[in-house]
Amino acid sequence: MKRVLFLFKQRPLALVGIVVILFWFFAALFGPSLLSFTYSALDTDYQMTRPGEGGHLLGTDALGRDILTRILHGSRSILTVALLTSLFSTLAGVIIGFSAGYFGGRVDAVFLRIMDILMAIPPLVLAMVILGILGDSTIVSLTIMVSIAYIPATARVARGAMLTCKNYEYVDAARIMGESNFSIMFVEILPNTIGSIIVEATARFAYSIMMVASLGFLGVGLQPPTPDWGMMVIENKSIMMNAPWAVLYPALAIASLVIAISLFSDFVSKVLIHDS
Amino acid sequence: MSFLRKVLQRLGFMIITLVAMSLLIFFLVEIMPGDVAQMVLGQSVTPEALKALRESMGLNDPFYLRYLRWFTGLLRGDLGESLYMRGVQISMILWRKVFHSVILALAALLFYVPLSIFFGVLAGVRSGKLSDSVISFFGLATMALPEFVSGVLLITLFSVVLKALPITSVIPIGESIWGNLDILILPAFSVTIVMFGYVSRMQRSSMIQVMSSDYIRAAELKGLPRAYVIFRHALKNALLPTITIIGMNMGWLFGGLIVVETLFGYPGLGSLTMTAIKTRDVPLIEACVLFITFIFVVSTFITDLLYGLLNPRIRFSGAEQ
Amino acid sequence: MKKVCTVLMAALLLLCAMNLGAGGQQTVEEKLIIREASQVPGLITPGVWDGQTLSLNSSIYDFLAELDPATGELVPSLATEWNSEDGQVWTVKLRKGVKFHDGTDFASEDVRFTIERTQDPDLGHLQKADFAIVERIDTPDEYTVVFHLAEVRPTFMYLMTAYNMCVLSSEYDYAKLGEMKPMGTGPFVLKEMVPKESALLVKNEEYWNEGYPKADELRIYFVPDIDSSVSMLEAGKVDVCPFINTIHKQNLAAKGFKVVSPYQEYRFVALSADREPFDDNRVRLAMKYCMDPEILAKVCQGELGSDVYYNETPILNVLAQYKDIPLRGRDINKAKQLLAEAGYPDGLSVELYYASDHPYGQELTQAIKELAAPAGFDIQLKGYTRDVYLSQYWMDGPMLLTGWGPRVDPSMLLMLAYQSEGPWNESHIDDAEVDELIAKISAEVDEAKRQQYYDRLQEVFYERGTVINIQVPYFVAMRPEVKDYRQPPTFMVQYEYTYIEE
Repeated sequence: MKRVLFLFKQRPLALVGIVVILFWFFAALFGPSLLSFTYSALDTDYQMTRPGEGGHLLGTDALGRDILTRILHGSRSILTVALLTSLFSTLAGVIIGFSAGYFGGRVDAVFLRIMDILMAIPPLVLAMVILGILGDSTIVSLTIMVSIAYIPATARVARGAMLTCKNYEYVDAARIMGESNFSIMFVEILPNTIGSIIVEATARFAYSIMMVASLGFLGVGLQPPTPDWGMMVIENKSIMMNAPWAVLYPALAIASLVIAISLFSDFVSKVLIHDS
Repeated sequence: MSFLRKVLQRLGFMIITLVAMSLLIFFLVEIMPGDVAQMVLGQSVTPEALKALRESMGLNDPFYLRYLRWFTGLLRGDLGESLYMRGVQISMILWRKVFHSVILALAALLFYVPLSIFFGVLAGVRSGKLSDSVISFFGLATMALPEFVSGVLLITLFSVVLKALPITSVIPIGESIWGNLDILILPAFSVTIVMFGYVSRMQRSSMIQVMSSDYIRAAELKGLPRAYVIFRHALKNALLPTITIIGMNMGWLFGGLIVVETLFGYPGLGSLTMTAIKTRDVPLIEACVLFITFIFVVSTFITDLLYGLLNPRIRFSGAEQ
Repeated sequence: MKKVCTVLMAALLLLCAMNLGAGGQQTVEEKLIIREASQVPGLITPGVWDGQTLSLNSSIYDFLAELDPATGELVPSLATEWNSEDGQVWTVKLRKGVKFHDGTDFASEDVRFTIERTQDPDLGHLQKADFAIVERIDTPDEYTVVFHLAEVRPTFMYLMTAYNMCVLSSEYDYAKLGEMKPMGTGPFVLKEMVPKESALLVKNEEYWNEGYPKADELRIYFVPDIDSSVSMLEAGKVDVCPFINTIHKQNLAAKGFKVVSPYQEYRFVALSADREPFDDNRVRLAMKYCMDPEILAKVCQGELGSDVYYNETPILNVLAQYKDIPLRGRDINKAKQLLAEAGYPDGLSVELYYASDHPYGQELTQAIKELAAPAGFDIQLKGYTRDVYLSQYWMDGPMLLTGWGPRVDPSMLLMLAYQSEGPWNESHIDDAEVDELIAKISAEVDEAKRQQYYDRLQEVFYERGTVINIQVPYFVAMRPEVKDYRQPPTFMVQYEYTYIEE
């Protein structure tokens, strides 16, 4: 605890990061109900109005929809997908990576080959192919898509963590005592590696936000009119000259969230892992 | 001797990877709904016409037969014809896009590698000081921006406000890319912004590690000038992890720049892959993905080779890191 | 190594700096060059051509007849005259001395080949349904073609102006070469094409229309993104930029560019009559009572009555056949009442399929969703890219938004889409009176009688039709120096007439 406070003082930016993340979580949970507009209401008297006019704090887009409401609403879907993705990909990665690292030998060799192959495709391409199979972009399909794209990365980290711990004495001791492999992996070793795993999970959280935003930018985000930050950037790019706020604020939202999570992830790694 | 053996082993793995990848992609496209025949004929077509077209495209044959047909063609060096654009040779479309992607990748490399290494070294050497904090924050911030965010900001700044650079990467007819290198600047810059964070941070931390190692300390104690120590001794070792990162991202650099290409309208491999996936044009998808995989596998190989050369300890131990 | 990197970087920067100046210059020649920034074509072989990049095929190929953009009348092109005594047997005389770009002569055999090709089952020709009416084609000599139709069709020759009816050479293998080396008789010859990137066309020196084309070269850029096309126009890299939207139009007009509107496009909202919920006319009426045409116009950044038009029939407002039925006006209470009568007192949920990358698609569907919500309609929007939409979802959904281009003769559209047996009957309408009226319209020679049928048809649609018709503008922006740009409602840009006056 003392260490945490000490590190905070050393890296005040981490605090900023945490505050921003908390802000977005609150915004996602409570934000939309605080505002008078809905995310799809068309206010044709106020199309492309600048921030401040007509009660629209961040202005409106080409259809007269309130930007602030859409950003707050959009935070829900992006946070949900990113959280679920980091959870699932970490979980799956731990199971796969731990098994590979623990059992070693051929299992490990096969695992490495498969992961190598999967990692050779840029994750965005892989996600597009998976989307092609799944059909529509919904919260569920996006989560599945991005999780699958990131499993090779988390599995690798989990494997690495397993390898460092595998040869400690307590493992041998547990084996002698007759503990099952499953129990050794997840009851004995996991708590000791939890540090790097959590760090990896937080890093995945940041990457997932970027990937979901990129998918939205490429036009395969959530169906309109559900707000999707990435799609807000691309659909308002053509009115960038007339209404730059329609592009700027969603872009800033994305950036702020990713930076905040990265700062947080950085900080967590300093806390939980004892070497820089 | 064992070095040569390692090389051959790696080559073997490379080939296996490529073959496995081709099979995987073929399989994935199989299970995607909709096929290229339907793309060509559309919705209002009769089932008979669809069947006839599929027959003529060879789509009615079983999975393994189609795959084998494509694979043997590949071994002969024939990438085949696009299914969607009948009669168009894939090699014609592919290599031109590949060429463009390669140029963009090289431009990006030329921008970001020296820049990131330089600032990474600077931050590492002045660790804890103001310049370090500034560089580190900058690195973190840019790393966090998805390509399209930094791309949009760049467009706004350079094309809209300053009107200095073109918004779109279109090569005028009759001219080649060499007369139009300005279209590369903004896309390469976007890529640089993304990579700068990664590479400079890695360079910085490895620099810190190396600078605190014993033999560097010894060199300093010997009274050698600091700059000499940094450039002649520390840098070589500190570069190793950085090279690994650069190598690991080559695959992305050469074929994964879909977002940048979409944003700037750059005619490269990424957008070709996207189009191919959308139209379920199996031979074209295969060609694109295989090429990307090939780059990735080759660059990983070269990176490992370089790493081994620069770090003699790895070369002879034969242990997998 | 660091030194090498620095040197390389400096070299590249120097190279770039040198080219920054050179990038915008044009080659210094006396040639008249027209440059256009258009869309990226999918397939371009006539028959399966998806209608993207209109200028490419309109310049390479000719048609039997074309339309005069000012009057809407048929103008002879490769066909010099045509007549029919009974409306069922048509004799067409062809132009002499026309050559294809490879030097072969144009003759009646080529016309026969072009028309018969529409029936090829392996091809999926987009005009197959239109030409199903042709029973037999005779070619008594090199320059005469006789069509024997299954029924009387007074407007038969209009079919020849459809954009996929380019006249093809009977001796050419379009299956193999159609995509890369198109072969036509048109004013421009394709010299080079980089697939999906650009096309360079040069003047056809042997063109049959003396004195045309006026330009020496036509350069077409395939640009995926309309904003990029517009910025190319603004930067002076191209002269013409079609398919701009209303916002671009306002910005460009303010900067001194010329913006023309050659024709209107339809956006049909199809309410499928063969399934729930729109099989009940009360539900269809309820939806119509939810619509507010002024808001629909505004979301397209236009004004109702000047840029955007609205009615509930398949007839364009600008056409002579249009009957001005007053708009019913938005009435949410009425809509709710109708829904309750139909058995949906608590509202209902329905899916609306559309092409997400087609202009106005996003705006219109979201507006429709918002407008219908207060009455209890919960519309689920399902947007896909146009190629996916057209190949997988169109014609098979409870509610669809589709972009249709105008047919020069509205009866063509009616036969395609509003006859119960029509091949593109997207709203699955099956109304005896409608079928009867359409049959009468297509067979009626007397103009006044035909108009009566059109009037009655529109009334029927107003009462119980399955379509909402929103007409959106098609804009083309160009530099003011571009003169004589012609684009009749066939979509075919007639670049042979265009020239640039600096």
